[in-house]
Amino acid sequence: MKDEITDSEYQQELFDRLRRSSSLKKEEECFGACLKSALWWLIEEPHPSSASIKKIVLSTCPFLKKSGSGKDSNCVGMLADVVKEAELERKIINFECIEGLRGFIYPISQGDKLYGYIGACYTKKDISSELMNVFAAYTDTIVTEIQKELELSKLYETVRPRAIALSTVHTVHRLIGSTLDINELLPRVARLSLQVIRANRCSIKLVDSTKKLLLPKVTVDLRETKSKLKKVRIGRWSPGKAAKFGRPIRDKDYLATPLIDEDVIGVITLYDKIDGKPFTQFDQEIMSTLAEQAVIAIKNAHLYKEQEKLTFGMIKSLAAIVSTRTSGQYIPRASFLRITTLLSQKLHLSGYELKSIEYAILLHDAGQLIVPEEVLKKPTKLTEKQYSLVKEHPIIGAEILKPIKALRTIIPIILHHHENYDGTGYPKGLKKDQIPLGARIMAVVSAFEAMITKRPYRTPKSINAAIDEIRKGSGSQFDPRVVQAFLEVVRRKDITDMLARERYGK
Amino acid sequence: MANDADYALSDLHIKIIKFFHENQSSIDTPRGVSTWVREERSKVSKALEDLVKLKILSVHRATSTTGYSYTRDPKIISKIEKLLKKK
Repeated sequence: MKDEITDSEYQQELFDRLRRSSSLKKEEECFGACLKSALWWLIEEPHPSSASIKKIVLSTCPFLKKSGSGKDSNCVGMLADVVKEAELERKIINFECIEGLRGFIYPISQGDKLYGYIGACYTKKDISSELMNVFAAYTDTIVTEIQKELELSKLYETVRPRAIALSTVHTVHRLIGSTLDINELLPRVARLSLQVIRANRCSIKLVDSTKKLLLPKVTVDLRETKSKLKKVRIGRWSPGKAAKFGRPIRDKDYLATPLIDEDVIGVITLYDKIDGKPFTQFDQEIMSTLAEQAVIAIKNAHLYKEQEKLTFGMIKSLAAIVSTRTSGQYIPRASFLRITTLLSQKLHLSGYELKSIEYAILLHDAGQLIVPEEVLKKPTKLTEKQYSLVKEHPIIGAEILKPIKALRTIIPIILHHHENYDGTGYPKGLKKDQIPLGARIMAVVSAFEAMITKRPYRTPKSINAAIDEIRKGSGSQFDPRVVQAFLEVVRRKDITDMLARERYGK
Repeated sequence: MANDADYALSDLHIKIIKFFHENQSSIDTPRGVSTWVREERSKVSKALEDLVKLKILSVHRATSTTGYSYTRDPKIISKIEKLLKKK
C-alpha cells in the first residue's frame, strides 16, 4: 500500500493535469484573442535551468526557429532573469524580447510552494494591468481547482485500500461469527485466512489441557498435498514459539499467529504465499486482527458446547424420569434418532433445528407423566375419558418444559407432534404448514416407531407393514413431503440393518 | 475460466473482476462490492453469482451473510490479466 507521493510526483501530476485542463485551454483562447498571436508555454519546474528555458523557447518562438542565430542565448538569458524575478516577487512579470515581442511570466504556486510558471509571448503592446490581474486571478483559480482534485485523488488512493481492507475484516468477522459449531468454525477460519493472506496452507492448533502441547485441529492445504496433523510441543517450531512467547513468529515462508484470550489458547500458522513472496508486516497485522476475531468465535463455540452439554444432560435426566414412569417403553432407540437426523437433513433443516428435534424426541412424551399408569399399560381399548387424558399429554409436556428457557425451541414440536396434516389431529387441530416442520417430522417418525414397537395394548406391526401405513397416511395424517423423504431414508441399508439389530417388530 | 465462451461478460462483470483483481485479498459481501463498483446491489449480487459459476470468484456462505473472494487459480488470474489489458 503506497501512502505518500513525493514532491516531484505531485509536481508532475499537477502539470499533467494542467496541460489537459480544458479551463486552461479556454483561458489561453480567451486571453489569446486579446493578446494577438500569443504563444503559450509552461515551465514545469520551480528553478528552471537555462537549458530548460532554451528548450521551451526554441520549440515555441517562430523567430528563433527561423534565424538559427546566436539570438537564442540572449533571449534565454533575458527570460531566465524574468523567471528569477517572478520567483522572487511571486507575481506576474512583463517583458519585451529582443524581437520586440511583449510577454509575461506568472509563477504557479501554492502558499510558499512554487511549482513552475506559465508564460506567453504576444505581438500586441500596451496590455492593461487590469487584464494582467484578471489573467493571474483566473490562472490561480484553475491551479487551485487542480490542486483540490489532486488532494481528493490522493485522499481516495490512501483511504480506499484501507476501507477495502476494513470491509474484508468486517466480512470475515461476520462469516466467523455466524457459527457456534467448533468443527465448522476452525476450517472456516483456516480457509478465510488462506484467502485473505493468499497463502497455500493453514494449520490451526489449540493448546491442550496440560498447556504443554499444541494439538492439531485443522489443516487446509489448497495445493491438495496431504499433510499430517502433528502435535507440537510449546516452544518448538514456529507455532510452538508463537504460543510460548504470545506474539507472531514470521519468516519468509511461514507466519504463526497466536490466538490469545487471557492466555494463549492456540496458534494459526500460514505457510507459503501463492505468489512465492515472503510474508509481510501487513500480513502479520491482518492475521493478528483475524486471530482476535477467531478467539472470540472459538470462545463462544466452546461456551455454546458447554451449555449444550448441560442442556443435553438435563434433557436426559428428564427423559429418565419419564422412562421410569412409562417403564422405558418410550425411550427412543438409536435407529429412531438416526432416521430423524437423516430426514431432517433431507428436508434441509439447519443444525440448530435438527438439535431441537433431537431434544424433542427424548422428551416428546413427557406429558404422559400425568397419565395414570393403568391407562398407559391398559391392554384393552381406552374409554373416552381415558383417551381425552392421553390427548392432553402434548399440552402437559409443553407446560412442563416451558420454564426451561434453553428448551423453548422444542416446545412447538412437542405441542404439535400429534397434529394431523389434514387438521384432524390434536391438541389444536392445525393443518398443513400451520404445523411446525419439526412436529410434522416427529409425527411420521414417532408413528413409525409406535407401530413397530411392542406395546401392552397391541402386537407390533412388521417394518414393511408400518412403512405401508405411513405411505397410506400421506396427505391425511402426514405431510406428503416428509413421507417422501421418510420412504427414501427408511429403505437405506444402514437403517434396515439398525432396525434389524434392535429387533424392532419382534 | 470455465466455459467463458458461454458467458458474455457485461461491463458490470468486468468492473467486479477488476475490483477483485486489484484487491486480491478482499472478501466482501454483495453490499460491500456494490459500494466499491458503484452499482446497484441486486445487479451486483447476480453478477457475483455468475462469476462464481465461472470460477473467477469463490463464495463463502454462512447463515447470516455471504462473502465473495477472488480465485486462487494462477491460470484464471493470468487469463484475467490479459482480458483486463485488452479492455
